[in-house]
Amino acid sequence: MPGMNSGVNVNDPIVVAAFKSALLHQGLIALLIFAVLGLAWISVRAWLPTSSPAGEQPGLGGPPAPAVAEPAWRQVLRIGFGLIWVFDGILQAQPKMAIGLPSQVIEPLAAASPRWVQHIVNWAGTTWSFHPMQAGASAVWIQVGIGIWMLAASHGPLSRLAGLASVAWGLVVWVFGEAFGSIFAPGLTWLFGAPGAVLIYCVAGALIALPERMWDSHRLGRAIMAGLGLFLIGMAVLQAWPGRGFWQGLASGKPGTLAGMTTAMAQTPQPGFLSAWISAFTTFDEAHGFAVNLFAVVVLTVIGAVFLSGQRRLVRPALIAFTVLCLAAWVLVEDCGFFGGLGTDPNSMIPFVLLATGGYLALTPGPVMAAKPATAAEPAQEPAAAGWRDRVQPAFVRRSVATASFRSVAAVGAVGLIILGAAPMAAAQASPIADPILAESINGSSAPLNFRAPAFSLTDQHGRTVTLASLHGKVVLLTFLDDTCSVDCPLIAQEFRQAGQLLSADTQRVELVAINYNPLNTQVSYIQAFDRQEGMAAVPNWLYLTGTSAQLQQVWRRYGVAPAEILPAGSMVGHGDYAFVIDQAGHLRRELGFDTGPGTQATKSSFAAELTGAAQQLLGHS
Amino acid sequence: MSRPARLAATALAVAAAALIAGCSSAASPAPGPAPEAPPGGEPFLATSMVTATGTWAVAVMGGSVASHNNFWQLFERPAGSPDWKLVTPPGTPDNGGLVLADAGGPSLITAFRPSQYLTYTPLALTRDGGQAWASAGPLDGALANVPDALTAAPGTGRLLALLTSGRAEIATPGYTRWNTLASQPALAATRAGRRCGLHDLTAAAFSPAGVPLLAGTCSRPGTVGIFAVTNGTWQAAGPSLPATLARQAITVVRLTRTANGTVALLKAGSGPAASLLAAWLPGGGRNWAVSPPLKLRGATLSSAFFGPTGAAGVVLNRNRAETITGAGAGWRSLPALPAGTATLTPGPSGGFDALAVHGTRLTVWQLGTGSPSWHTTQAINVPIQFGSSG
Repeated sequence: MPGMNSGVNVNDPIVVAAFKSALLHQGLIALLIFAVLGLAWISVRAWLPTSSPAGEQPGLGGPPAPAVAEPAWRQVLRIGFGLIWVFDGILQAQPKMAIGLPSQVIEPLAAASPRWVQHIVNWAGTTWSFHPMQAGASAVWIQVGIGIWMLAASHGPLSRLAGLASVAWGLVVWVFGEAFGSIFAPGLTWLFGAPGAVLIYCVAGALIALPERMWDSHRLGRAIMAGLGLFLIGMAVLQAWPGRGFWQGLASGKPGTLAGMTTAMAQTPQPGFLSAWISAFTTFDEAHGFAVNLFAVVVLTVIGAVFLSGQRRLVRPALIAFTVLCLAAWVLVEDCGFFGGLGTDPNSMIPFVLLATGGYLALTPGPVMAAKPATAAEPAQEPAAAGWRDRVQPAFVRRSVATASFRSVAAVGAVGLIILGAAPMAAAQASPIADPILAESINGSSAPLNFRAPAFSLTDQHGRTVTLASLHGKVVLLTFLDDTCSVDCPLIAQEFRQAGQLLSADTQRVELVAINYNPLNTQVSYIQAFDRQEGMAAVPNWLYLTGTSAQLQQVWRRYGVAPAEILPAGSMVGHGDYAFVIDQAGHLRRELGFDTGPGTQATKSSFAAELTGAAQQLLGHS
Repeated sequence: MSRPARLAATALAVAAAALIAGCSSAASPAPGPAPEAPPGGEPFLATSMVTATGTWAVAVMGGSVASHNNFWQLFERPAGSPDWKLVTPPGTPDNGGLVLADAGGPSLITAFRPSQYLTYTPLALTRDGGQAWASAGPLDGALANVPDALTAAPGTGRLLALLTSGRAEIATPGYTRWNTLASQPALAATRAGRRCGLHDLTAAAFSPAGVPLLAGTCSRPGTVGIFAVTNGTWQAAGPSLPATLARQAITVVRLTRTANGTVALLKAGSGPAASLLAAWLPGGGRNWAVSPPLKLRGATLSSAFFGPTGAAGVVLNRNRAETITGAGAGWRSLPALPAGTATLTPGPSGGFDALAVHGTRLTVWQLGTGSPSWHTTQAINVPIQFGSSG
């Protein structure tokens, strides 16, 4: 998958420190948001005590009129999935996540999927790898924000909107982060998490978003259980399907599909007891693979059939059995979802249990819940005739703010948290170039210099003589390229080409210059071939200079770059990767380490950004 | 949900699961880069060449053929000397393979097939048997991955190169200006090309008279796709094959010039029924002589070479080697080759040398004339710079 992976080490200290710093700064802003909202709320309530409807006690509760009680099934889904979103957000804050999500989570998930899935997923992975800090931080705040929003808003449009936000972000994560839950990949099974944990978040979000008039309908409970039952029966068929490796504990001496998965799970870093349990299960499955799969097929079928029947007296024990099965699979097969590798969520079993419990509660008439005082987030309490024009009237807004509950304020704060995460990512996304921190993470930062750049007089790709003096008045971005080098030099040329595009408005003021770094292939025909290979003819301010071996070696010496080393036995010429920034007066201002690192789209773009930034600084653009 | 609706929905779920299972039960091949060389067993660049001043051999060393940690090496044994020496041209990465062209006398041109991000073909020229190399060219395109992708004309030093794009390019000494001599589609559209059903080009050579020759694979059974250009017109110039091969697809595996004329190695058919044939065209002659077929019986060809007077030899898998001395002779099996044999060459005093590769070590084994077994004569440790091209 080209582009998805930035190639930078997931533990790179520069990126990790920057990610932590971004989270810290944004966390402080988040606190500020909540503090400002809280102060505003307290102040408004203090200043506008009379704005509350008559007879109302000012306080956390808001208007005393009874609201429609939130049914138990909705509470379970809202609180359960709210907590899971918060937990997922916390997992997103792992230091490795900024660099590691595309390479260690998305790419492996998408690897077995069809090419069209990989193509879609690659787009998101590339976007993430270009802006790892912004993307990583945005995922944290969006998920924590959605979670708090769901936890805080129990009634009214704000609560339903939280459900919709869960659906929307869940779909984003399901498509781009889970590669459609790997449903198009071989080996799909409920035991491994099909159809993707986040798709269950979406279902729960959609249920939470239902209007209040549907809360009490028993048909809703039957629909949830029937849908879940159908799904489980389908998964049982899939589990029973021959030729997928689930019926064999061992096949030709190798672990079957399930044992293979759990073997891999057991080897990931995790608490010792968990690893021991999974290993024990793997051993059991290898010995009794047929029986294990038969058990899974039968249990899924029976539970699915009972759920589908909607018979309450049967659903209760089936729910208990389903919960036990889910917990067993969660621990023994899914490794609790987040222990193995770079965990992003607790996987599918806990969400399944929550969904099934919610469905059962919707099916079963529960005790009548005490109605809670309504809040400003509950427009059911407002006059039915109040349209949007009334709602934007200052008096209405004042009254709403004054009567708002703590929960409503928290929900609004959570929305602010989501915006806090999404806005920097949206801004970064608007930029086509990668974060320069990737380049810095590969080569470190450079100290400013200020001395006269060594002179040179060489021949360009058109056979013309070029001297440094002839470039006076222009910013010169200078590098050294071996014209037959097969890895780094083509990558560096692409970085320069990209920088040339970014500086296209300053073509007359910036010169992109490369000096041949091969003492053997010094002919103009070679640098012309290199230019054609890299498409450098399209860069109007590109100069690729060469000369005799003696001339070139003199220039290398003057610039202090390591002399090209002629290695034996078919190796390319040994050389370093450098770039120099020379100002309009011919002074050397920066020396950049230019090891291309992994040479991915993200790092190439990052180096181009670094070069562009250095040139723009000298041009006075920044 | 009513009972019939539930039943229908259950059936739908089962059908959907079955569909998903059917769609997802077979693992799709993981996308990845194309291999840099044909898979083992196909004829590729490991070969040898005998020139006026010595014998040259090319072998891949270091890692596996598909990795960037393999490095192609050139060895030379000067005429009259029993010892081989490493003469790989320096300064250019050669992970894509080396292709040789005899430029006459002590001169040899080596082409570096591009690898990784390099897409053009650097050239190096030696005039002293590989002691010193000078840069030449380059060829602005990727040289085809066949051992006869580059050839030099006798006397004039013109170079003919076959590119992966299917073009044949020609240049005069200096080798900086290349002109297209032909392309596979253009050649396939000629009368001779149509009669052959030419669908790819596999070799280029000059005849002893300096006429460019191109060879390929014909889709028309029993037809040998060798073409010569005279007065700007491409004409069929290959041998006629026995009627027993009339139903076999023929591929020209090798085509080269020797001191006595032109020699070709042909592969007839495919799979276990495939066979190899050598064919010789004497200098100035018009009629080819064709060897008896060598039935491969499932063996795969990994290297082929020609001696200075037209003798041919092939290295097959399972340590097998077969040789033929020339027209009118039959194929002769050699004793089992030493493990790791990359290529064979004619020996310094008759017999054969087998160059065996184990990582960075080249071992030379010799088979004397009439000798029943191979014996070691030399070992060369090649100072491969692992990671220098990765």
